[in-house]
Amino acid sequence: MARALLFAACVLLLPIPAWAADTINVYTAWPESLSQPIFKAYTAKTGVPINFIRLSTGELVARATAEKNNPRADVIWGAPGDGFAAAKAAGIIEPYKAAGWGKIAHELKDPEGYYTAVSKNTLLFMSNAKLLKEKGLKPPTSWNDLLDPAYKGQIQTADARTSGTALTRILSIYYAFGKDEEKAFDYQKKLHANVQVYTKSGGGCTIPAAMGQAMVCIAHMPDAMEAKKKGYDMLTTFPREGVAAVIEGVALVKGAKNREAATKFIDWTFTKDMQDLLDKNEVYMLPTLPEGSVNAAVQALMKEAKLLPVDLEWVGKNRKRLVDRWINEVIKE
Amino acid sequence: MSPAPAPVSSPRAALRDPVLAPVVVLLWAAVALFVLYPVTRLLALTFWDDGPTLAAVVELVGSWQHRRALWNSLALAGLVGAAGTALGFAFALLAVRANLPRWVGTVLDTIVLLPLISPPFTAAIALIFALGPRGLISYHVFGIAGLNIYGLGGTLLSETLTYFPIAYLTLKGVLANIDPTLEDGGFSLGARRWRVFRTITVPLAVPGIANSFLLLTAASLADFATPLILGGTKFPVLPTQAFLQITGLYDMRGGAALSFLLLVPALAVFVAQRWWTERRSVITVTGKAGAATRVRSLSPGAVAALVLVCALTVLLVLTFYLLIVFASMVRALGADNSFSSAHYAHVFSGGLKAIRDTLVIAAVCMPVGGLFAVVLGYVVARTRFPGRRALEFAAMINYALPGTIVGIAYLVAFNDPPLALTGTAFILVICYVFRYSLAGTRTTTALLAQVDPSIEEASASLGARRDVTFRRIVLPLIRPALLAGMTVLFIRAMTAISATIFLVSLSWSLVTVRILEGITNLELGQASAFSVMVILLVYAAVVLSSLIMRRLNAGSLGQAGTLLGG
Repeated sequence: MARALLFAACVLLLPIPAWAADTINVYTAWPESLSQPIFKAYTAKTGVPINFIRLSTGELVARATAEKNNPRADVIWGAPGDGFAAAKAAGIIEPYKAAGWGKIAHELKDPEGYYTAVSKNTLLFMSNAKLLKEKGLKPPTSWNDLLDPAYKGQIQTADARTSGTALTRILSIYYAFGKDEEKAFDYQKKLHANVQVYTKSGGGCTIPAAMGQAMVCIAHMPDAMEAKKKGYDMLTTFPREGVAAVIEGVALVKGAKNREAATKFIDWTFTKDMQDLLDKNEVYMLPTLPEGSVNAAVQALMKEAKLLPVDLEWVGKNRKRLVDRWINEVIKE
Repeated sequence: MSPAPAPVSSPRAALRDPVLAPVVVLLWAAVALFVLYPVTRLLALTFWDDGPTLAAVVELVGSWQHRRALWNSLALAGLVGAAGTALGFAFALLAVRANLPRWVGTVLDTIVLLPLISPPFTAAIALIFALGPRGLISYHVFGIAGLNIYGLGGTLLSETLTYFPIAYLTLKGVLANIDPTLEDGGFSLGARRWRVFRTITVPLAVPGIANSFLLLTAASLADFATPLILGGTKFPVLPTQAFLQITGLYDMRGGAALSFLLLVPALAVFVAQRWWTERRSVITVTGKAGAATRVRSLSPGAVAALVLVCALTVLLVLTFYLLIVFASMVRALGADNSFSSAHYAHVFSGGLKAIRDTLVIAAVCMPVGGLFAVVLGYVVARTRFPGRRALEFAAMINYALPGTIVGIAYLVAFNDPPLALTGTAFILVICYVFRYSLAGTRTTTALLAQVDPSIEEASASLGARRDVTFRRIVLPLIRPALLAGMTVLFIRAMTAISATIFLVSLSWSLVTVRILEGITNLELGQASAFSVMVILLVYAAVVLSSLIMRRLNAGSLGQAGTLLGG
């Protein structure tokens, strides 16, 4: 018995197996279905294995912050820009300018090189075709369409305290209303009257909308298209006033144990090789490298989209204030 | 009622006891290392910034949503405690006192266990699909459109249905231990059923009722997954706020401060429960033979009412879980309802490692945590060791704190040498053991409150050492507690996520992480298939453990000895 216990203790205490010197440990916020094929492609190309854990953006930053003195991850790959702004403030990432850094437009990267956009993302309206038909409604094509009383209690979208999607929504409205913050918040208060619930994850509204529990879901493009791919009868539209183009980034973890392998992987992120994978794998995000390809399906979808550029620095400074305003003015009853 | 019996030994004698003293030292060491140390590290992080600071607290007190969240949490916890205990009591009465055929008891036990095994998020999502605006029950059966389940109502319903089985398991053991001859005595003195129930049955069940209220209240205070999905912005509660503060606003200090605020009501509940149960003696297991008479202590009308309440609950619970089973067997729920085995194929290919890892961890947790729980319960209930109350409270801290905060505290405490445990399975095991042993401890103290200490005194006076008495006398008597404690641990190891999302590593993954993955990938089918696997595995474990228990020690306290009515 004692010997068995001792053996069990030894097995349990076995740490992560001693990895080959060049293995890369990655934290990502992208769903496995989107991130794993890309990591696998890198391993197939270079032979360098990538171990990854998927966490929500907030959990990812919290985990990396708690591990600050003894980092377990080398790279944070695939998380929204605001997560990286928080990671920079927490001192858990360090500047690294990848080989292709110069080619990335300046609004897609941190000026000091702490993080750089892997891809561009935006949001859209996803409506349940059957429910719209029942009420004789056309899918919304303007932010103001959503204020129609017919949508009362029928809109689901993300909670600004947890979800990057919600920040994209707040920014979209801000830019769509000509950067007039008062107008933007007036609008959001009116929109609130039609919202059934604010979900805690960005994709949280897609399945309820697909299942008819809500009529419209305002979600990030990849989440919405993932639901559509499953075969749900959903209509996707963009507001004609425009939507904010937000970034999904990559950064090197400060004190990364496999720094060299990690930087090579980040370099690869900004090659046409990897940028084309976004397209081939139907990730439904846009490449940040100018020469990255965009397939016909994405082009057709994006035809209606008016992308509004986002001032990363302004967002970094004002994010907390915008979220606080949302808490204290929009959802307070 | 006579006052509580004198514990077996005096404080001074306890300190000299050759068996007890090292055991208590060991318990303290474990609690200090795996509960107090991480919490202290987190406290330091919260209130120390180049000097003591209350900045985190000051900011929080000024926020309307946090103030409202505190009241909401208290109200919700109280309501869940009351409603869940009432429902559990109804089920326990029906199972123990209604003289139903045995198979009914077995069926009841089997179904009642289901909500306890609610894998993360799937149950709350099933509730939305059953009772939402276009829900299966609300819309398709009753034709109610536009039902809003987000807020207090939905959260209360979901938490009550999730946690009432804890009350049922606790109260069933307690009711079964009440010597029927006491009630017989009441009847032969001419009392009516209601009077016997009110003056004999209920008072004897008070420790059980108080314990179940405490367990449910504490469970609700710590539950963040249900309000996260069902609370919405209209009904903020503290654990959710703490989670949002950390993961949404990137404010670890504020989140930790909110979590420590949660310890206040948890402490209050704990003290109240102590005060309430220790005023009276409820001894019914005396070592004197009690005739097992068949008492008709419930009127036919009462039985009918109980059957109705329980049947409705069972129907509701079954609907949720059948929805999950259905989702796991179709291509894409709602879009393509044709049969598909693809989700199970995924579970048995890519998902096997997670299942194996989880089982290994659960298998280690069960004996370690079960033993820890009953020994702790015994030390608290039966010895006069100085500081035993403090020990019991310290052991409860990880249960009372939201999982997110426990996970982060563990990361902060155990990421650096010499205690670099992150990345190992060990950190998952200790996280479960010190977070989920409370059920076993509470059940042990409740059961021991019913057992006359003179049985142990007899053993001691016959020359048996304390460990022998514990093994030969106490352990068989508190077997149901050990079993319940181990079962709860196993279930938690299979279903918990909030703390462990921070502790899983590449070498040790968990089924719950795969379920969460399924939900974030919008793969309801995969998430459901994993959930069904979790449910089946838990049932297998429960059946197995009750078979073992029955073989080990048939007879004594038979009714309460198994979870499946055997």
